[in-house]
Amino acid sequence: MTVELTNPNAADAVPRTARSKRRTATDFAAEGEPFVWALGGALAIGILMIVGFLFLVVWNGIVTFFPKPIAVVTAVNGDVFAGEPVRSEPFRPTVEALAALAPPLRAQIAAADGLASRTLYRVGNYDLYGEDFRWIADHDARRVEYPAGLVLVERLEWGPFIGRVKAVATGGGAARPAAELGAAAIDAAHAQARARWGRIHRIERGDIGAVNHALDKERLKLRKVELAAGIDSADYRTAAGRFAEREAALKQDYDRLAAEAAALRAADAKDTITFADIGDKEKTIALSAVVRMYAANDLGLAAKLGVYLSRWWEFLADEPREANTEGGVFPAIFGTFVMTLLLVIVVTPFGVITALYLREYAKQGRLVSIARISVNNLAGVPSIVYGVFGLGFFAYIVGGTIDQWFYAERLPSPTFGSGGLLWSSLTLALLTVPVVIVATEEALAAVPRSMREGSLACGASKWQTIRYVVLPRAMPGIMTGIILAMARGAGEVAPLMLVGVVKLAPELPIDGIFPYIHLERSFMHLGFHIYDVGFQSRNSEAGKPMVFVTTMLLIALIAVMNASAIVVRNRLKRRFMGSQF
Amino acid sequence: MAVAEKIAPGASATVYHVKKGDQGAVLDVAGFNLWYGASQALFDVSMTIERGLVTALIGPSGCGKSTLIRSFNRMNDLIENLTIAGSIVFEGADIYQSRADVIALRKRMGMVFQKPNPFPMSVFDNVGYPLRVDGVRDRRRLEETVEQALRRAALWDEVKDRLQDNALGLSGGQQQRLCIARAIAGDPEVLLMDEPCSALDPIATAKIEELIDELRGHYSIVIVTHNMQQAARVSQNTGFMYLGRLIEYGETRAMFTVPKVRQTHDYVTGRFG
Amino acid sequence: MTSAPKGHTVRSYDEELNQLNNYISEMGGLAEAQLAAALDALGKRNSELAAQVIVQDESIDRIEAKVDEAAVELLALRQPMADDLRQVLASLKIAQILERVGDYAANVAKRATVLNQLPQVEPARSVPRMGRLVEQMIHEVLDAYVRRDADAALAVWHRDEGVDSLYDSVFRELLTYMMEDPRNITACTHLLFIAKNIERIGDYTTNVAEIIYFLVKGVPLTEARPKADTTSFTVVNPPAS
Repeated sequence: MTVELTNPNAADAVPRTARSKRRTATDFAAEGEPFVWALGGALAIGILMIVGFLFLVVWNGIVTFFPKPIAVVTAVNGDVFAGEPVRSEPFRPTVEALAALAPPLRAQIAAADGLASRTLYRVGNYDLYGEDFRWIADHDARRVEYPAGLVLVERLEWGPFIGRVKAVATGGGAARPAAELGAAAIDAAHAQARARWGRIHRIERGDIGAVNHALDKERLKLRKVELAAGIDSADYRTAAGRFAEREAALKQDYDRLAAEAAALRAADAKDTITFADIGDKEKTIALSAVVRMYAANDLGLAAKLGVYLSRWWEFLADEPREANTEGGVFPAIFGTFVMTLLLVIVVTPFGVITALYLREYAKQGRLVSIARISVNNLAGVPSIVYGVFGLGFFAYIVGGTIDQWFYAERLPSPTFGSGGLLWSSLTLALLTVPVVIVATEEALAAVPRSMREGSLACGASKWQTIRYVVLPRAMPGIMTGIILAMARGAGEVAPLMLVGVVKLAPELPIDGIFPYIHLERSFMHLGFHIYDVGFQSRNSEAGKPMVFVTTMLLIALIAVMNASAIVVRNRLKRRFMGSQF
Repeated sequence: MAVAEKIAPGASATVYHVKKGDQGAVLDVAGFNLWYGASQALFDVSMTIERGLVTALIGPSGCGKSTLIRSFNRMNDLIENLTIAGSIVFEGADIYQSRADVIALRKRMGMVFQKPNPFPMSVFDNVGYPLRVDGVRDRRRLEETVEQALRRAALWDEVKDRLQDNALGLSGGQQQRLCIARAIAGDPEVLLMDEPCSALDPIATAKIEELIDELRGHYSIVIVTHNMQQAARVSQNTGFMYLGRLIEYGETRAMFTVPKVRQTHDYVTGRFG
Repeated sequence: MTSAPKGHTVRSYDEELNQLNNYISEMGGLAEAQLAAALDALGKRNSELAAQVIVQDESIDRIEAKVDEAAVELLALRQPMADDLRQVLASLKIAQILERVGDYAANVAKRATVLNQLPQVEPARSVPRMGRLVEQMIHEVLDAYVRRDADAALAVWHRDEGVDSLYDSVFRELLTYMMEDPRNITACTHLLFIAKNIERIGDYTTNVAEIIYFLVKGVPLTEARPKADTTSFTVVNPPAS
């Protein structure tokens, strides 16, 4: 077959323009280019916002624990104070302040649109001066120095202290000046005092706590007999007798432990440390009351990192102090984690079984549609309403009934009749169950009909088909629903405030005392902690960095939980879906 | 033309010249009608499926052959608003009587579908599934049955070293043979195949046709197919259906060389439509 | 005859089957014409016509080759079923037969050439009569093929009996002639062979009729064909002298 080449310039050639005009380029709008750009742009903006937010949180949170230098500021009016610089910002000086300034300075400020800048310093020493933070306008600061030897002291009470170590007294002896002792000796004595304090703490919290708990149990047992048999019955008298014996034994233990603790405390009180602030005001406290101290201006990078890491460890593993603005958030981490775990344990069977029924067993009709619509609408109910429901129904009605039936001896103090771990988890489960139900229904619907039919044709019953074929295949989708539920539930704060979260919980919900999980106890929650620290604390400036760090931690915790769930889901996906063509 | 009268719609007589097997009939369909809601899909179908032979059902799309084969193991029950009339007698009892145990019925029948549908489990679990849902827990019995079924399905040599691997990793042809193995693992009476080779390449198709030849005798096989040459190759009896009626049902040789009804002839020679 | 059969959904299939039909019709027409011309050449002692017949035989052979090729292609590509399959097989067989018929007609023409160089003999007149009968049979059987008429084919099938009887009498006549005058032997032998060829053509025509019957009815013709050819047992005694 030959192809004839046409000479386009030949006289009889078809004019090129006519032909090429027919071969039009695709319409620009039809190709969809603008939409691709628009969608890409929207996605980019979304990602930018998320990244920006994370960056903001991490940037502010990461640096919080890094030890800052201590500045000594001499003001124009002669005031001298020492403190950590926190931040600088522009501000408008008041008219009176402006009037007090020198004219060239006033002109400079006027040229800068009326704005001057000022710096915030954390001066600490709240017990001496009554303020934690102090602003000073940059133009009012005559001299700013960073002398050596200034120490930042983190204490059990009253917040940080900024000053110099004057003297240390150990074992009841006389106070010896710091210069004489040397830093190493002071640190050693400090470590010893902290260890002793730790022992006291363990005895009082742990051992004495156990004794108290046992005593409480005995008392409740007696009360139970009293309620059952009456205060005049023979049973009661025998029980009372037994109680008296046990009480005596326990009281002995208590006394022994208390004496031990008292002895330690006495020893502890003999170790003191005296500080002097920049104004030479002195303050003496027990050596064990010092949590941490370091000479801020004298540290090398390695030492600073050491302080940084030890603060992080304290944050993650210790309990809070100073109205949650200092110390650690371990109880909140633990509480969030346990509550989320319990949430997942409750919502998974509840949601999956409901979805199974709705999709597989219920006769599809009006009633089922209404049920499904109601479930979907549940997702739109404000979360605080769930809190009210949880409190009213779960805590008061159900909990109150449980108290009456099983814990009558503890009344009038409520066991389950008030907010606690169980009710919080149940309330949040109710909040997140629509997500699980919808995701499960979608996953079940996505199982191909051919697979179901194959199973039925083998002689399996409907339940066997669901159990062996449908559910495993739908598992990745179900897990997605659970992940979403977990992410939502872990972060909700509003309902929790009503049903069981407290500012400061005396005990963890899981401990060594039978039955090991105490579902009636109140607990602490990271989300609530953020709210509390940010808005309810006396010291809002001190709280601000803690807000960022705790936010960072909460995001990290949820991310870790989600990531592990995603890993599980991916493994399931590989096992159950394989490659299907 | 070797043509009988054209069967008019409305008439229910089937031109019948079936080759009888020497073991009698395994399924007896009598006056079977089926409605999806208000529309009727099967009109007065009467036929016997001979035991030990392969029976093919051919016909244009929508003629009801899939509906008929799915009625044999009551898979149509999954569809809502289903009404039936007539009877299908299997092992001495009408499978549609109200006391009939559908699950027991399905255990006596194996079904292979158009698209291979292995479960998301290992090969071993797939083939052992019919026994498992029957309550068999004895490991040794499961292993023996699985091996025998895989051997019968000509798949043993290819999978004997990967019994615990996910069944979804097999090729299309292997998956379909796996489904056949699964269908025969429960030792059914009847093997129902709904276009088993539609989704397969010619080599896999040939292997399955060979398999059907080997399985004949052990099982009674009913196969629905669009491929007339395949129906001609593998079956001993063929039924031609059109618009829900069984137009002609006879020995395969005659059906494809001298069909008695014009419609059958037209369909078989490619003159339909 | 019932209403015209529907065409195949794939039209090229119909076209290919029609092409096969046309080949057979063409071959049949050619074979018929060959025989007529050969008989003519014999009866009118026209050697030129005979030469033409001999040359023409090649065209029948060519068509037979084309039928072979077309049939194989149809079988491979179309997987014909029922009627279509029978038609393809019938075409193959009939083509082979018609090719043989053509060969025999050419043979008659060859021998006619020889006979034309010899003085005419008496039986030379009865042979053409046999030939016309057979020619008629060929025409009718091809007609039956085109019309797919099993009854017409059956009728042809029965008529061969008459040809056989005629052949019988020609056989005896020629034998007698040869015994009477040995100078006639060459001519009569050739005539004998010509008569045999014509009788074979008649037999072949019945084969075609059987094939047509199977094509139309789908079952083979099981009756035994009535044969009247007793020449295998014929003995003619020389006149007593």
